[in-house]
Amino acid sequence: MKRFILAFVAAYIFIFFWGWLLNGVLLKDIYVQTPNLWRPQSEMMSLFHWIIIGQALIVFAFVMIYASGFAGGGVAAGIRLGVLLEIAAIGMRMGFYAVQPIPGKLIFFGSVSGIIEMIIVGAIVGAIYKPAVARMS
Amino acid sequence: MNWKKFFFAFIAAFGFIFLFGFLWYGKLMHGPHQEVPILWRTETDFGNHFSTLVFGHIVMAFFLTLLCARFVPAGGAGACAVMGILVALVYAGADMITFAVQPLTTKILWGWIVGVLIQFTIGGAIIGALYKAPPSNMTFVKERPR
Repeated sequence: MKRFILAFVAAYIFIFFWGWLLNGVLLKDIYVQTPNLWRPQSEMMSLFHWIIIGQALIVFAFVMIYASGFAGGGVAAGIRLGVLLEIAAIGMRMGFYAVQPIPGKLIFFGSVSGIIEMIIVGAIVGAIYKPAVARMS
Repeated sequence: MNWKKFFFAFIAAFGFIFLFGFLWYGKLMHGPHQEVPILWRTETDFGNHFSTLVFGHIVMAFFLTLLCARFVPAGGAGACAVMGILVALVYAGADMITFAVQPLTTKILWGWIVGVLIQFTIGGAIIGALYKAPPSNMTFVKERPR
């Protein structure tokens, strides 16, 4: 349980700063091209708790999936899970792209950065979380 | 891995996920979606991007099938439904983040969250019911007559 919480906290801190760096800094110019699709800055700040809860839910589900079928494989298994989940997320992003006039560039960069993000999250979780049996031996 | 069973499970999961998505998001949530028309493509534009929607669903169904088939040791509908719920939580988290940055209504947010939970729980259960890998250490021993 202690390892689960540690893995969750470490992955969450990474995902939070990565999200800020990517969406708040690196992709800022692309977001500006479609202002109608986004909330004004002040409104986003008033709903910021949804970003925190959403990211926490993603990391929680990631660690749960890792613990239920991948644990014991270490960093490599974590990376494998990260890649699998991110490719599934690309499927969801394609669904959004089909119904919303989001710039294709944003989908592309979001997906590339998503792969990098999930590889690092997988490595963090795989390095920290160890199943009880593996720790005993 | 049993690829024949995998293929059938994937096709069934794709069929369900796509059909459910059409009914839930396209029909049932049509009204709430129309409250923010600026967020959506026009009918014609959506028609031009329909193949992307289909391909996106293929990708989601394929990776859910892969996760259930390879990484749910117990197998079966129940265990794969649990995996489906966990995958749905990832999508629900992404929906919450979308809600914070896009002018969606709370009705849309909760509709999406409930929808994705139902979609992937049942999707996972279908995969688990159709794909049952035999235990790798199973041996058949003929009982000796007494």
